[in-house]
Amino acid sequence: MRHGHGPKGGEIDLEEFDEEKMKAESEDLLELRYLTKDNAVFKRTKGGFVSLEYAGQVYDRVYVYRTFPVTLPEEYISIREATEKAREIGMVEKLSELPKDQADMLREQLNLRYFTPEIIKVRDIKHEYGYGYFNVVTTYGACRFTIRMGGDSVVSLSDKRVMITDLDGNRFEIPDINKLTANERKKLDLFI
Amino acid sequence: MKLLYDLSEEQLNKLNLIQDETIWYCVPIDLSYDYDEKKIIDEYPDGNQYLVVTDKNIVVLDKDGVQSKTLLEKCSEIKCESLVGCGIIMAVVEGEKTCLARFSMRHIERVAYVARGANMLVQGEYEKIESKEYEKYCEKCGRALPGTSKCSKCEGKNVLLTKFLALCDGYQWKLLLISLFMVVSSAISIMLPKVQGSFIDNTLVDKKGDMGDVVIFVATMLALTAVLISVNVVKNWWCVSLGSRLSMDLRRKLYHKIQILSMSFLNRRKPGELMNRVTGDTNRIRQFMEEVFGGMLSALFTMIGAFAYMMYLNVTMTLCSTVLIVLVFVLTRIFWSYIHRIFRMQARRDDKLRSGLQDVVSGMRVVKYFGREQYEVDKFKKLTDRFCEIQKKNETFWALFYPILTFIMGFGSYVAIYFGGLDVLQGEMTVGELTQFVAYTGFLYGPLGWMTHLPRSIMHMITSLNRIYDVLDEEPDIKDTDECNAIDIKGDVEFKNVTFGYNSYEPVLENINLSVKAGEMIGLVGASGTGKSTMINLIMRLYDADRGEITIDGVNIKNITQESLHSQLGVVLQETFLFSGTILNNLRFAKPDATMEEIIKAAKAANAHDFICKTPDGYNTYVGERGFNLSGGERQRIAIARAILNDPKLLIMDEATSALDTESEYLIQQALDRLTTGRTTFAIAHRLSTLRNADRLVVIDGHNIAEVGTHNELLEKKGIYYGLVTAQLEMAKMEE
Repeated sequence: MRHGHGPKGGEIDLEEFDEEKMKAESEDLLELRYLTKDNAVFKRTKGGFVSLEYAGQVYDRVYVYRTFPVTLPEEYISIREATEKAREIGMVEKLSELPKDQADMLREQLNLRYFTPEIIKVRDIKHEYGYGYFNVVTTYGACRFTIRMGGDSVVSLSDKRVMITDLDGNRFEIPDINKLTANERKKLDLFI
Repeated sequence: MKLLYDLSEEQLNKLNLIQDETIWYCVPIDLSYDYDEKKIIDEYPDGNQYLVVTDKNIVVLDKDGVQSKTLLEKCSEIKCESLVGCGIIMAVVEGEKTCLARFSMRHIERVAYVARGANMLVQGEYEKIESKEYEKYCEKCGRALPGTSKCSKCEGKNVLLTKFLALCDGYQWKLLLISLFMVVSSAISIMLPKVQGSFIDNTLVDKKGDMGDVVIFVATMLALTAVLISVNVVKNWWCVSLGSRLSMDLRRKLYHKIQILSMSFLNRRKPGELMNRVTGDTNRIRQFMEEVFGGMLSALFTMIGAFAYMMYLNVTMTLCSTVLIVLVFVLTRIFWSYIHRIFRMQARRDDKLRSGLQDVVSGMRVVKYFGREQYEVDKFKKLTDRFCEIQKKNETFWALFYPILTFIMGFGSYVAIYFGGLDVLQGEMTVGELTQFVAYTGFLYGPLGWMTHLPRSIMHMITSLNRIYDVLDEEPDIKDTDECNAIDIKGDVEFKNVTFGYNSYEPVLENINLSVKAGEMIGLVGASGTGKSTMINLIMRLYDADRGEITIDGVNIKNITQESLHSQLGVVLQETFLFSGTILNNLRFAKPDATMEEIIKAAKAANAHDFICKTPDGYNTYVGERGFNLSGGERQRIAIARAILNDPKLLIMDEATSALDTESEYLIQQALDRLTTGRTTFAIAHRLSTLRNADRLVVIDGHNIAEVGTHNELLEKKGIYYGLVTAQLEMAKMEE
């Protein structure tokens, strides 16, 4: 509300608006906090999640996110409040620096959150009327999925690494395309 | 989208329902989870698992039986969490956040609906939710559905054939004539070699004929060819005109349907997609009629005719020369699919090249800022090299193999000439018959090349038809029923327990209760995305509430005819949309029979008369796309004039004054003040000063009405509204 718009606007006592608090909040966002084995304790919950005790506070469940899911899957893990806003509590710089059991707990949460099967064998790819039908073997077992031809369904993340996204939004990764047989690569050629 | 899958008898038994326990939802889930240890398992499950929600339990069932069972009464909340490439069902069971199941993205939408349904059961709301989204895959064959409700391959064909015939209703005569002409054209094509044959036999070989015979032959050939060409021209012309007619009919029907359909249908689709259906898909029907229907049937008739005649001439020879047809068919098919494949690859590289180029050219400045020219040059060189390489390969292939293909296509003729030649030497066949025969072989093999495309063309046509009929067959959600009446609105509006969400699993408004007296101005306040515009959409009845009711003067808006409701509503939105046309036409959009005096009065009240007069063409100024350039404030004032002209009883303003400079804001504010007096008004504004005249402010937060009251009351309350006001004051202070 701008000044001069009727008398009502003037009635507010501006001093009560806590500028300090807002500033502190945004400063808070700026700070990079590390959770280490000395200041944080992760515990597995009965429900299959992980709780956290940090800076005198207990979170009955925290979200565990990767910040570099492709390049650094085990480092700079962001620990967040399990709310809609998912505010960051802090980061774990390296999982390996936490006690083994706690690191494993976090790894488990990461595996729960990130589901990207790796394709180890391409059995067959058919294409028909603008869709590609894949029949592959992944690290999770045999799988069939469908992608839309053209567009961004298949993306090269690096010279050898390929990410495929199917119609539903499932993601499949080929960690090293050179490890596939020549025949398999030929099948994939149309998409890459 | 299906939310209740059928379970087999065996699985049902394993589910072990207690008495009067009924299954509400049942959907497949496709990732393994250790339900006892609450751990993930790195393997796809063996066979389908189902998530079953009954009125008592939430159960995970697989082929071995029940894996986990949770009593709904122990849960306080159930929701679907979308993660990366997968999702989980999270339930608060006896206060403990618990992961109940895990699944991939394939089923996430379905599960989200079910989670919402289960949560409603937990809250004691026994109401089944439904999903209006289409399935993504055909249930029978597993093919992806291109935004259609039916699979073109499985169910599409038969249903669509009847639909296609129904479409041709009224054009039967034309179709019949076209078919007749096709037969005539085939008959003439088959006759031509026959005439040649007898000319060779009777005139040339025996040398019996004279000059006259030659002239007669040439004349006959000329005449026949002329007739053939005319018949084909007329036939093609009819095909084209029929095709355009059909596609025009479809386009008109589609457009009409899109106008009637409710917002909920339109919202599920992108505008581009709908436009594509109106223009692209109908066009494909036309193309099909022209190219495939006209060409295909003709070719088929000719092939059958030629084959029959060949059989009549010489059975063994016919069989010998046609035996290769299968081989040639297969070979051409392989050739074409390979060509298709390699050129598609080329097109992909080409796309990459183009987008790479576009990226750099539009980002040229950034490249220069950071001095990365050489890097970009190298990158681009790599792309062009790859493109060049594949292009070279493809063109070589084409140049090499297309002649070979043509050679193969002519194979039938060689066989025919070999066997026919032997027969002629032995005197069992005349030279004329042989030429005739060879010509027919050409008729048989010639169209093979493009016949291989036929399934593809038909499939494209069916898909287009499918997409068109998906819209045509859709029933509007909001319809006038027999109970609907036209009423004269006074302006009392009441929300009674209204719940609504654009997707039924995700409510935007929950249990809204609000009573507004006639003539009151209500300001709707709240952070973006909280449902202010949704409330307005419900009043305008662009959507129907999922639960609860909205009444105007005590009448449920479902019982007011849409025409009567909308004619008494005035709307001013943030972005004023003016149609291409004059200002006059745009003003009259609200009331087609308005007199000039009414129009000028309305424009004056909206502070618009003045600037309209100053334009060269006054009220006849052409606006809209490529028309006279009006500023945002001017457009807004036209919109207000349009609303005033209608003399609405209910007024709706959605951010009507945002994004305007101070002066035009003042003018508009003045106009709005005039407009709102004595009318029930709902106004949304980010800038709270706009709402200073509101009788009451309604603060919406978290799907609910958080605060209601006058400006002063809400300030004293020091709640959400207070926070918003102080924040805006603070911003204003910082600007100064």
